[in-house]
Amino acid sequence: MDWFSYLVAGVMVYVAVVVFVLGMAYRFYQWAKVPKTSVRLAVFPKPANRAAKWFVAVKNALIFPQVIEVDPKMWLFSMLFHLGLLGAFVGHLRLLHEFTPLVGALGSEGMERLSFWGGSTMGIVLSVAVVYLLVRRMKSPYKDVSVPEDYILLLLILAVVTMGNHLRFFGDVPTADYRAYLQSLLAFKPAFPAALAASSIKSALVLHVFLANLLLIYFPFGKLVHVVGTFATNLVRSD
Amino acid sequence: MDEKLRGKLVDVLGKRLNRQLLYYLDICARCSICKDACHQYTTTKDVQYLPAHRAELLRRVYKTYFGWASKLVPALYEGKQIDDDFLDELYKATYSCTGCRRCMVYCPYGIDTTQILAVAKEILLAAGKGPELLAMLADVAIEKGENIDLFKEAIIATLQETEKELQEKVGDPKASIPIDKEGADILYVALAGTHTIIPAAIVFHLAGVDWTLSMFEAANYGYFLGDVAKAKAIAQRIVDEAKRLHVKGVVLAECGHAYRVMKVLQEVWAQEKYPFEVSSILQVVARYVEEGRIKVDPSRIQGSVTYHDPCQIGRNGGIFEEPRNVLRHICSDFREMTPNRERNWCCGGGGGLVAQPDLEEFRMRTGERKAHQIRQTEAEIVVSPCENCRLQIEGLNERYGLGVRVSSLMDVLVQALGPVVTPVSDLVPVEVG
Repeated sequence: MDWFSYLVAGVMVYVAVVVFVLGMAYRFYQWAKVPKTSVRLAVFPKPANRAAKWFVAVKNALIFPQVIEVDPKMWLFSMLFHLGLLGAFVGHLRLLHEFTPLVGALGSEGMERLSFWGGSTMGIVLSVAVVYLLVRRMKSPYKDVSVPEDYILLLLILAVVTMGNHLRFFGDVPTADYRAYLQSLLAFKPAFPAALAASSIKSALVLHVFLANLLLIYFPFGKLVHVVGTFATNLVRSD
Repeated sequence: MDEKLRGKLVDVLGKRLNRQLLYYLDICARCSICKDACHQYTTTKDVQYLPAHRAELLRRVYKTYFGWASKLVPALYEGKQIDDDFLDELYKATYSCTGCRRCMVYCPYGIDTTQILAVAKEILLAAGKGPELLAMLADVAIEKGENIDLFKEAIIATLQETEKELQEKVGDPKASIPIDKEGADILYVALAGTHTIIPAAIVFHLAGVDWTLSMFEAANYGYFLGDVAKAKAIAQRIVDEAKRLHVKGVVLAECGHAYRVMKVLQEVWAQEKYPFEVSSILQVVARYVEEGRIKVDPSRIQGSVTYHDPCQIGRNGGIFEEPRNVLRHICSDFREMTPNRERNWCCGGGGGLVAQPDLEEFRMRTGERKAHQIRQTEAEIVVSPCENCRLQIEGLNERYGLGVRVSSLMDVLVQALGPVVTPVSDLVPVEVG
């Protein structure tokens, strides 16, 4: 691993994970240290019991069905965007550890096919969704409500996804090599396997990792905390 | 603006940052889905009325003064300093909101914009920039609470007239409007004027209820003003009266915000547990009708009827079915508005807007949604159990030529009570078939 790759795809990854974990812990602490208002902020009708309250909150946080009524297009793209992110995240887990039961069911060739089609679909869906969100935000009234953070995050995600797509569509590196790289990270001995280090997409990978690091580092400090906060506020809605 | 005042205003914000508010300020993604939920934005297309934008004003200040990451790079969030221009912008965004909380229903996170605006109001008040008319009305109410003995004679004198009217209506010279009666089951809190006293008195008389009338009005201008101390003092007058008289329950007249204040807010503000139940007259009469304690004659209400859910009664107070049940008992043609219940459009008059003459044109313009909704039902009578809503819908009726009659629930109910009672509505004359 050359020194630049080592810095970005090695050291910086650890820094990003640490900042993310500590930052989120700090955010939770900030939320937890101030008391809740005792005023009941619910909108009626309220769920009948505790279980129903949690069910409704989780449903609203994950699907927000009421949005379909007022802005179906935004709902659709928001769903595609978030599902794309989730799909991409889950797909990357395969690089940490192969989904062995799936390989058992599909065979190793079938698994590669699933990975290719799944990953490609997620990559394209995500790109389209991010572009939609970006274009939407450039128009009034969304433009007037937006702040630089909103654009920067969308552009950052778009860049991460674009580099990811580049690796998938133009890369010639087998899954096993990516897995070897991630295993080396887990072992605290970051290194690229020879084939990856010599590959033409090495710099694209380093850039992909760099941008993802930035996203992770920024995560606790801006609006991305809605990913966890939404469960809390959706519970408040039935308080 | 001098640094001392600015520091004081930042302090007001800092002291108010409870957990829910932090969530709201931290997580909004500015997706602006709320724009389609707000009757003011959809009718004006003016971004200063877009709920997320109203909240964003305060968020930009929050980002400037709180949270070390955002203090580091406030430009990322368009962080703002508190200054006079900011306060003017904040005033417009804050005191124009009716507080209907419809945006909260549609927000994917359920952000309660009114909670953010409540802090904005406190900042404006601390800067001496609150609406003077609302403050004056609140002060008058508080003064009445402090000097009730001076007012008592006059109240009793007025009530004698009202009592005579009641006796004529029910044809019983013994019918009374008790006041200051210890140990009564119900303390009924009416609105200013007699139009919410007589219908309730008729129902209580016919149902044989042991009740007493509060010497105070239900309305709470301190709440609209956003001054918690004043709002609390105004509501506390009623709590103290109820405790002094040892009543079992406090029943509020048809008034949206008064119900929410007494039912949801005052107990928390005052940090005490009421030794009595709080209910709306809607719940009480619904029970009487269901139990047959008062006999209704549906043939007396001619014409189609629709029901407007006041935001503070329905979405924010939880009363949806009781008034509908009453209406189904007393009229043959009941029609729902679309959407209704927690999704109902605000009439445009809430949040104290009806009490502010300079907002009248704005109210009428932004009530266009409600007017459209009413027209679509093709109903002849619009019933709404909130004085603010009724005044606003009256205005819309004229402005948009809806040709409807607007009534409180109690007024239509009283008309359905049969030949014993002659119509009493002095707010709006309703024809009797």
